[in-house]
Amino acid sequence: MASITSLSRVDSENHPLNMLSVVPGVLLLAGIGFAGKILERSINSYAKTHHRIFPNVEYVLWAIIIGLLISNTLTIPKLFQSGIATYEFFLKIGIVLLGARFVLADVLKLGGISLALVVIEITVSLALMTLLGRLFKLKPKLTSLLAVGSSICGVSAIIAAKGAIDADDEDSSFAIAAILALGALALFTFPVIAHGLHMNDVSYGLWAGLGVDNTAEATAAGALYSDAAGKVAVLAKTARNAMIGFVVLAYAIYWAGRGQADKVTSKAAFLWKKFPKFVLGFLLMSLLVGFHTFSKPQVASLGNLSKWAFLLTFAGVGLRTNFRDMSKQGLRPFIVGAVGEVLIAGLTLGLVVGANRIWGL
Amino acid sequence: MSTDTSTKTSTKRAPFSLDTWAVIVAIIMALAVKFDIFKSVPW
Repeated sequence: MASITSLSRVDSENHPLNMLSVVPGVLLLAGIGFAGKILERSINSYAKTHHRIFPNVEYVLWAIIIGLLISNTLTIPKLFQSGIATYEFFLKIGIVLLGARFVLADVLKLGGISLALVVIEITVSLALMTLLGRLFKLKPKLTSLLAVGSSICGVSAIIAAKGAIDADDEDSSFAIAAILALGALALFTFPVIAHGLHMNDVSYGLWAGLGVDNTAEATAAGALYSDAAGKVAVLAKTARNAMIGFVVLAYAIYWAGRGQADKVTSKAAFLWKKFPKFVLGFLLMSLLVGFHTFSKPQVASLGNLSKWAFLLTFAGVGLRTNFRDMSKQGLRPFIVGAVGEVLIAGLTLGLVVGANRIWGL
Repeated sequence: MSTDTSTKTSTKRAPFSLDTWAVIVAIIMALAVKFDIFKSVPW
């Protein structure tokens, strides 16, 4: 499992600003992302010049596929690993910069709808995963971690909750592996289902943001559908991420009450510590654009910078997904996660379809 | 996202979390665009 957790995130306390050690991995991310972009362009131009029709496979999918091929067929040298783990750092930079492409009114409207749906999604998901955990007789703390991971934001939420409820390393590894494996599956199934249902960009983006757990996978799943869907997916996922502190706090209080975790001394400090700061950055950027701080070409440049940051993220998603390591984690947590995720995907799809009828998304 | 390896480890804490660094870097990039250090970013 070490390989999954080591690639899955960068430890915030020893973050990647140790510049030299991350250079090889970042170059690998950039190389894969750029190769994806070149492949998309070359295939499209070949099809045009030879008057052939090929399905348009976007750079997002190419970057993920190349990453997947590398991580599942080769052994990635240690030299690259700390750099590869920076993909989450680039994801957050990309999200903050993406705020520039949202008019504040859209953030308030879509963010408001997202928040309302997020509250329903979190409540039902937590109840559902807890029930499934009991049915499948998983350890209670593993059930808590799976519930937090599937209701809010995947790996980050699991890591935040792990410390707060004093869970075992093994439990968090199980939960992370299950969430990552299911996130990888969602990447390929969500767009196919949405195309089958002829969903519009906004509805699909909302569904991807609400239904796919890990922020990187939710961003990629949105972008795989369309650029506009990718934007909405990030907004919906950001609204979901904003709830992390409240849910983890509730679990910390619950486990402390049972004498199995440290007491929370200051709730406000706890909430601030767990609150994802990039959500504030995203809102700030949208606010600055709303006040016409940037010209139109500058806003376009900020949007492009965000795309470059996401390009590295998508390469990281592929590189981080190692099916062999995931398969070693045992079947029961995966089954609980899979059953829960399918039900949550159905629930969120229903919520989005309902919201579309009410608000005309 | 903020994490909490916190009190149990004796590692020296960085002044900012990864999240905060991401926001800082993004703002620096935005300023570079605003003041034309990055004139036009292509895609």
